[in-house]
Amino acid sequence: MADAAFLALSVITIGSAIAALELRSLIYGSIALMGTPGGVAGFFLLLDSPFVAMFQIAVYVGSIAVLILFTVMLVKRELIFKKVEDRRRKFAGIGLMLVFMLSLGAVIMDSGIKTITTDEPAVDFRDIGADFLTYYWPALILMGLILAGSVIGALILARREDITDEQRAN
Amino acid sequence: MSVIAPKFRLSEFLKVILDNLFWTVLLLSLIGIPAVQVVLFYVEMPVIDGELLTPFLALTWIADPSRIIPIIKALMATDFFRIAAFPGFGFAALIAAGTIFVERKMLAKMQLRVGPFYCGKMEGILQLMGDGLKLISKEIIIPAKADKPLFWAAPVLFVATAAAFVALIPVAPGWVVADVDVGLIAVFAVIGFFPIITILSAWSANSKFPFIGGIRALYQMVSFEIPLILSLLGAVILTGTLNLSEIVASQANFPWIIFLPIGAIVFFITMLAELERIPFDLPEAESEIVAGWLTEFSGMMYGLVQLGTYLKLYAFAALFVVMFLGGWHGPMIWPPFPQEIITDGIPLGPVTAQLPGLPVLTQEVLNGVLWFVLKTVGVIFFILLPRGVFPRIRVDMLLSLGWTKLIGLAFVNMFIALALIYAGVLGPGGML
Repeated sequence: MADAAFLALSVITIGSAIAALELRSLIYGSIALMGTPGGVAGFFLLLDSPFVAMFQIAVYVGSIAVLILFTVMLVKRELIFKKVEDRRRKFAGIGLMLVFMLSLGAVIMDSGIKTITTDEPAVDFRDIGADFLTYYWPALILMGLILAGSVIGALILARREDITDEQRAN
Repeated sequence: MSVIAPKFRLSEFLKVILDNLFWTVLLLSLIGIPAVQVVLFYVEMPVIDGELLTPFLALTWIADPSRIIPIIKALMATDFFRIAAFPGFGFAALIAAGTIFVERKMLAKMQLRVGPFYCGKMEGILQLMGDGLKLISKEIIIPAKADKPLFWAAPVLFVATAAAFVALIPVAPGWVVADVDVGLIAVFAVIGFFPIITILSAWSANSKFPFIGGIRALYQMVSFEIPLILSLLGAVILTGTLNLSEIVASQANFPWIIFLPIGAIVFFITMLAELERIPFDLPEAESEIVAGWLTEFSGMMYGLVQLGTYLKLYAFAALFVVMFLGGWHGPMIWPPFPQEIITDGIPLGPVTAQLPGLPVLTQEVLNGVLWFVLKTVGVIFFILLPRGVFPRIRVDMLLSLGWTKLIGLAFVNMFIALALIYAGVLGPGGML
């Protein structure tokens, strides 16, 4: 059962990734891009970590894919994309990907991951939170600062200079 | 000259009736009864008189009415019943249907109109059925240059997402379709699908007004999701769990709205925005952009989107009840099941009907469902009320409200929750 689910999820993840690259329609490409994080979320569910799976869906499908869709819809496609149909480049890209994936797979297989056998229960997400607040607190604070900095930077970038203050709402 | 039935012959009329009867009986016996039997193989059947009820004996309840209640109980224990009927789709659709009618009638009364009046003799109570029949029988028109697969998929996906949201809501102790450990995060994940479906359907219609409405919906939903998530975290901090059933169970003594009124207000406002209701109905502003992202839908596709919208409304109201109003908790007002029926049976003249297996539902469950429905209906009423009172606000006011005020208030709410825990009022070892 788990193997069938794993196979189906692998097909969904890789197939939608290929579709996202290969589809000519940008909208369908971004829909296919949603399939990839959705499939990864399925892997997390198979690995007994629904917390990470739900965050994967909420963040990657719910937010990032929406932003990509939004951007795609607000631009004129002809303006930014020139159709370059170069078969040699395509095959070179596929070959490069295969080499990269094979070497990465060889490294992972060589690292002794196959010998790991564990029957430990899945990690509770409360433990993750407790770890973040105790042992990894500098990382947490650093992440918070980086996020706050990026949000403030985005707000400053988005601030319009061409309207005066009394034209703003409130 | 038109004649209604130009070649009416009694013999042909009888032949048609007999034909239909023949095919009905044939199809029922060849497909219907085997289908029921196949379904029964997957149902855990009850034990009656020390004998397991097999699917071959299942139809014996027709001859022996005392077997009905154990069979009903067995059906109610199946997953299918939970998904399709009680805490899931059917229950929510029933409340959604009631909401549509009450909304139309109540708004009419508020604005000194009559509202639905003719359908069904008394105050138009059959209006909804008439509307449903009309929508089913209408032709589905798809714009010529629309993107057909997406345009067809959008209403179905919308209803499916709303149903997935409904499935996470606990209605009574133990009565929830999907009792997941990370229920609230699952709710956030499900809510994240609504803007995608909206913008895709708006884009696929290939028309100006849906596209403008879709972009507005996307702005609105994405920017209000953040205060929505933040406003619920206060209750999570106080409860220490993400499971919605446990959050309800933690409010046995007092609902969280007493301690987190700011969170409740923020959640209510974001709820109005997520549901695209007045005063935040910019995506469907009928006086500006026809019907917004719903403009090109017709027939049952529009009906499906409407169903999804009201399922979503029920689910949000129910989430408010679960998070802030204490869910199914309330004083016991449901009368206890009469004991003499269990012990003595129901006397029917000379015979006495003994019905083993009663009561079907315990008093606690019925009382819980009653309180849950009462609270949910109350919240739905407060969601409907602004529609009769408020005008629509501008999009920049909407966005600045969401990004500056509501997010700030949501953080204030979280700090209140943290202060309550650190001051030792609530939480483990707290005063209350």
